[in-house]
Order: sequence, then C-alpha cells, then structure tokens
Amino acid sequence: MSQPDPRLAQTFCGMSFASPLILLSGCVGFGEEYTRIEGFSNRDCGAICLKGTTAAPRSGNPPHRIYETSSGMLNAIGLQNPGVDHVIQNILPELDFNETRFIANVSGSTLEEYREVTRKFNDSPIDAIEVNISCPNVKAGGVTFGNDPDMSAKVVEACREVTAKPLIIKLSPNQTDIAGNAAGCIEAGADAFAVINTLMGMAIDIENRRPYIGNNQSGLSGPAIKPIALLKCHQVYQVSKAHDIPIIGQGGITNAVDAIEFLLAGASAVGIGTALFYDPLVLPKINQGILDYMHRHKIQCITELTGTLQLNSADSVLTGTGCSC
Amino acid sequence: MASPSYSANKSHRNTIFVVDAEILRHEVYPGHQHILRVQAEDCARQARPGQFAHLTVDRQRPMRRPISIMRASPDQGWVDFLYKVAGEGTRLLSQRKAGETISVMGPIGKPFTVKEKKPLLIGGGVGMPPMICLAEALRRQVDVQPLVILGSEIPFPFDSKPSQLMLQGMPDGVIGGMPLLEDWGIASRLASLQGYPGCYEGYVTDLAKHWLEALSADQRAQVGVYACGPEPMLRAVVNLAREYQLPVQVSLEEFMACAVGGCAGCVVAVKAEQGVAMQRVCVDGPVFDGLRVY
Repeated sequence: MSQPDPRLAQTFCGMSFASPLILLSGCVGFGEEYTRIEGFSNRDCGAICLKGTTAAPRSGNPPHRIYETSSGMLNAIGLQNPGVDHVIQNILPELDFNETRFIANVSGSTLEEYREVTRKFNDSPIDAIEVNISCPNVKAGGVTFGNDPDMSAKVVEACREVTAKPLIIKLSPNQTDIAGNAAGCIEAGADAFAVINTLMGMAIDIENRRPYIGNNQSGLSGPAIKPIALLKCHQVYQVSKAHDIPIIGQGGITNAVDAIEFLLAGASAVGIGTALFYDPLVLPKINQGILDYMHRHKIQCITELTGTLQLNSADSVLTGTGCSC
Repeated sequence: MASPSYSANKSHRNTIFVVDAEILRHEVYPGHQHILRVQAEDCARQARPGQFAHLTVDRQRPMRRPISIMRASPDQGWVDFLYKVAGEGTRLLSQRKAGETISVMGPIGKPFTVKEKKPLLIGGGVGMPPMICLAEALRRQVDVQPLVILGSEIPFPFDSKPSQLMLQGMPDGVIGGMPLLEDWGIASRLASLQGYPGCYEGYVTDLAKHWLEALSADQRAQVGVYACGPEPMLRAVVNLAREYQLPVQVSLEEFMACAVGGCAGCVVAVKAEQGVAMQRVCVDGPVFDGLRVY
C-alpha cells in the first residue's frame, strides 16, 4: 500500500497524520463505507472523523434528507447512529488503525450526554475526540449549544474532565463571534478546532409549497460556503495561534487550491466532505496538487504553510488600483 | 432501534468501480425518456439485477444521480440506463452526447434474489429497467418461467408487438408485449390508462390479478413478486402480494449523496424485529422486502 508523500505528514495534537486531508464526520459513515470503491484508500487521508455518536441510538430525521442546491447541497440527517456502546463494541474493533487515524465525533442533547459519550470513547482505542457543538439538524444540543459561548465552554469543560485524548471542537458558522467562542473553548480545555460545520439553510418545492427536506431546515455544505468557511477559519486562527491550538479548516474544499487557501488562512489540516460525493477518488488528486504547490514554492513540509497568509495593509488597500470608486 | 448494517468485515472492499465512461449511444423517446449506453467494463461485468450506478451529469450540478441498470454486457463492456427527465440533474444528463465521457460509479446495492419458479416482475415508468435487467438474468434459467408486466402513462420507450407467448387469464385484446423480452422467450404484457393498442386499460396490479386468479393453488405457490416503480404502484403491488400471501421484493429510490453508505442521506423506514429502522437505500437496498417497507 502506498502512503502519501512524507512531506505531507505532520504531528497534529500528538497524532501522526500522513496527509493534511481529514474525512469529515457524517460523510463517510464509520470509516469503512468508502472502501467499497476500488482505488479509494483510507491511507490517503490523515484521519477519518466517524459519524456523530450519541449515548443512545438515534434513528435520525425523516426523508428527504438530501437536496442539491447551486454549488452545494443541503442535508438534515439528524445524527442517525447506533449509539456509543455499539460503536465501541462492534465498530471500532473492525477498523484498521494502521491505515489512518480515527476520530470519534461526540454529540449530545445535554451536558451530561456529552460527558458520558466522551468518557466512554476515552476508554476505547479511538485516536481523538471531536466535540460536535454545531449540528444544525437536531432539536436539542448541537448548534443551540454551539451558538451560546457560555454553553460551548461548559460542554468543552465537561468533556475535558473525562478525557486526556485530543479534544477537537467543531465550531458553528451560525454565530456572531466565532473567534470569541473559540477563545472561551481554549480556556475550557480545547486542544484543536474544526472550522466550520454547515450553514443553516432551506430549499422549497414550489409545486407542493413544502421544503424539500423532511426536517424543513438543513445544513448547507459544498463550494457555496467556501468563502465563509475560509474567513471563519482565519478569524479563529487569530485567537488560536497564540496558544498553539491547530485548526482543521473545512467547508467546500474540492481541490488542492481550496485546500491550500485554508492552510494559508491558518489551518494545519483540511476537511473533505461534499467533494467526496462529487469524486470519491479525489483524495490522491488533492494530495498531489498540494505537493506540486509545495514544490513550486520550495516548501519542504506541509506545516510551513499554516497561517502564512499576508494580509493587504491598510495603505495598499487605500492606494490599490483595483478599486473603481 | 435497529441500525443500518455498518460494514464490519472487509468483504465489501473494491466492489464499486469509478470510471470516465464514453457515451456510446444516447437515444430519446417520447415523454422525455432517454436510453443511455456507456462503456464501463468493470461495472458491466459485476452488475446484478436491481443494482444501480451513480452518474455524474454535468459540471454545473456535481452531485451524482443514481440510475438503475437496465442491461449490462459483460462481454462487450457496456451498460444501458433508461431514465426520464425529472429535474435539473436529469435535464443536464439528457444533453450529453455520444462520444462524450461521464463518470460512472457502479455497480451499487443489494440485487434481487429470485427463488421461485414463476417470478412476476412488475415495472412502472422508469421502474421498468431493473425488471428488464432481472428478466435478462432469468432467461438463462431453464426451469424458471417469468412474467413481466410493464406499465406506463407515457408512450413506452419501445414499439410493442403482439406476443406469441400465450398466458392464462389475460383479458381479451391484452396481447402487446415488449419485443426484447419476447426475443428472450420471456412473456410480457403492458398496462396503461392511456388506451394504447394491445395494452390492458388499467393498473399493472389489476392485470397481475387476472393472471394470478387463473393460476391453480399449486402454481400460485411458486410465484414471487419483484417490482420497481412509483411509490403508489409499489404500495399497490405489496398489497396485492399480501392478499395472495406471496413474497415480494421492491426496488426503491431516494435522493442520494454518497451512494456508498457513508452519509445516511437516502434512508427509508423499514420494519425490523426491534421496531422501525432507517435503512440506506444505496447499500442496505435498493432492493427491500416489500412487506417491511409498505
């Protein structure tokens, strides 16, 4: 089995990532689903975030759960999962931890549920724990916690108390001050951030005068949200860099250019989700595209790229020639 | 709650193939129906009746569209799809021309499994393709005598012709069949409310009932029902199967994103031992026990 080029490797919160590409929670089931495809390999990514997991099994939302929109898609799955005990007893033992790193994604409706699920994953072989305080498609918990900075910090604190594994906080874009929220999460014990989850949206079938999505509202992903995700990633980096807290930048990445933009904006790794639906063999293509860029810019290690964005100065903005007013 | 069967062992690996496939033929039929033939060798070799492929339609709409496999030639490496323009994605697909390439990902899903000597295949509208695929597989089985009933409210995407294969219980004048099936020696009859010549004027399930009523109890015990089509038709087919106490398998469709079981976007509620389970149409289906979904 071939591994990505060693120049793409890094240590992220103590874990060795073979590539900066992270497969996003909710897109790849529990880590084995995409391996049905010939030519797809878990070894082409740095880590896989497993499907959001709760204390008890959840059957999720009614159909339709998926709808394509311009340059993106809406989804409202509703955290369908078999529950943490099933995941730990039946799914984790079947994963090949030599292939990549596996990250659990913890969701809950109450503080106690977040704590309980995290505690159980702490006693499992999982490599890290992502705390989902940004799911837009459930009635309790999720984004209602993630949009309230005090609650966000409390969730992080509750999870921190019960695990020494890397704790990655998945932040919502559906809030006013994402950087302020990130600062509170760092104080509460966050080790890393995933920026961003989906944006809340809707699509309507005008013939039936009903939303296409069974849950009515849903989360928007795909290239449509990339500029928003990029700015949020940059904003969180302004807070996190002083603490050496790394970011997984994500939202609409479909190619190497997109991925490099996130790295420059402050991400150390990048999440791939909707792009897999377009092209399930996209991972080696993005890896190669990043390598080509590194070669052109004489960069030896992927970590040299993080946060190297050079902002336009106030002077150059005022005197720039691009403005027509 | 029962859950989808998230893969535990590794036997599922490398069973789906992604290829940039050349379009060999793309024919249009009345009612915005299209038959697409692509060169996709691995998919053609592995395809089983009831499976589908996930097709890229256009750069403007990069989400793939799941389309049932109608025919596959393992020897020549082509795969045929029949689809009807239903939205923006299939409209864009319909504009693709022979000689262009599209990304084909397949074959995907659990196929039909036929155990009975007298399988009754019922296809409605764009639900016809899996039935044609299943019929082609069954033609090689000497002791199996399938009947295919096809229904459509727009002109059929073929010219029907009077069948030479006699059937019990058919009302007078119901003689039209599908030539391709006839060539394979498989009996077929057509149903429509549109008054097409040679067709039964009514629902596919009513025509099926005529046939079932003409069978002896012993013959009826050898019948299994296989169906694909619009939801009201499938519901009626399952009710028919229930009435005659026949096993029934149905092929379902749903809006789909990954098509490999990763996103749980395409679920359907299935009655299971521990209650209702939301199962994925892509890999837990698309073929389900009809008695568990309706």
